[in-house]
Amino acid sequence: MNEQTEHDWLDRKLQEAVPYIEDDGFTARVLRQLPAPQRGGRFLRPLILVGMSALASSLTYVLSDGGRFILVEMFKLTTIPTLWVVAFALASGMLVMAGGIFAAMSKTSQIQY
Amino acid sequence: MELTDAALVARVLVDDDQHAFGELVRRQQSSVRGLLRQLTRGDLALADDLAQDAFVRAYKNIRGFRGEAKFSTWLYRIAYNCFREDARRRKELVGINEEQWQAKQDPQTVDAGLRHDLMHALSLLPLHERSAILLCCQNGLSHDEAARVLDIPLGTVKTNVLRGREKLKKTLAAWAQ
Repeated sequence: MNEQTEHDWLDRKLQEAVPYIEDDGFTARVLRQLPAPQRGGRFLRPLILVGMSALASSLTYVLSDGGRFILVEMFKLTTIPTLWVVAFALASGMLVMAGGIFAAMSKTSQIQY
Repeated sequence: MELTDAALVARVLVDDDQHAFGELVRRQQSSVRGLLRQLTRGDLALADDLAQDAFVRAYKNIRGFRGEAKFSTWLYRIAYNCFREDARRRKELVGINEEQWQAKQDPQTVDAGLRHDLMHALSLLPLHERSAILLCCQNGLSHDEAARVLDIPLGTVKTNVLRGREKLKKTLAAWAQ
């Protein structure tokens, strides 16, 4: 028997030596030991997020004189030259693309295992 | 259609779905209990206690599973850590050293039957070689996966597998003819 055949033979025998172990209530015993599911927490998190967002929006609206600053800024935006808008859109697109490539590259290096 | 392990893990993460976790336990219980039975040298009660502990820990720490490895590999690592902690408590982690291993090579202690001989030979290996053999040769993990489970360098896993194999082959030489 050559070395590789010997290895294969040994691996096969090792795998055959351990038969499938029947569950026999093992899973049920594990499930009984698990902590109770946190049903309340499941709804609490989105509720807190929505509540905080609503509160922040209301405060901003009241403190900014009914959102008047938005109208002012919108008006300012209409006076910007078209070339600037195109340049800004191009730069934003390139920035997002660079971010995407960087994220993809770092994820690839993590997944190599 | 049967859900994949990843889909079941997602259900546990999102909905805290214990039925999904139960399905994961059902799928993995045999291999995890089998591994622990051999690490504990056939102590079935201890192996099952450790396996239960491993699954409960896995459930509690499932947010730490990032999906970069197979779920079973992650589970093996938890099971192995449970075994190591228990062994440390029992101060049995040192295993059997080379001299003891050689001393136990007395052929009269080896009963008939290849399976019995194999299990006996396996139980005589030092813990680091036994663990590497069980993970790589018996459970089909790659050397890299075994290195992550055992938390040791890749080269050490390869050496341990090689040495363990040589010892097993020496013990089972008559069967391999």
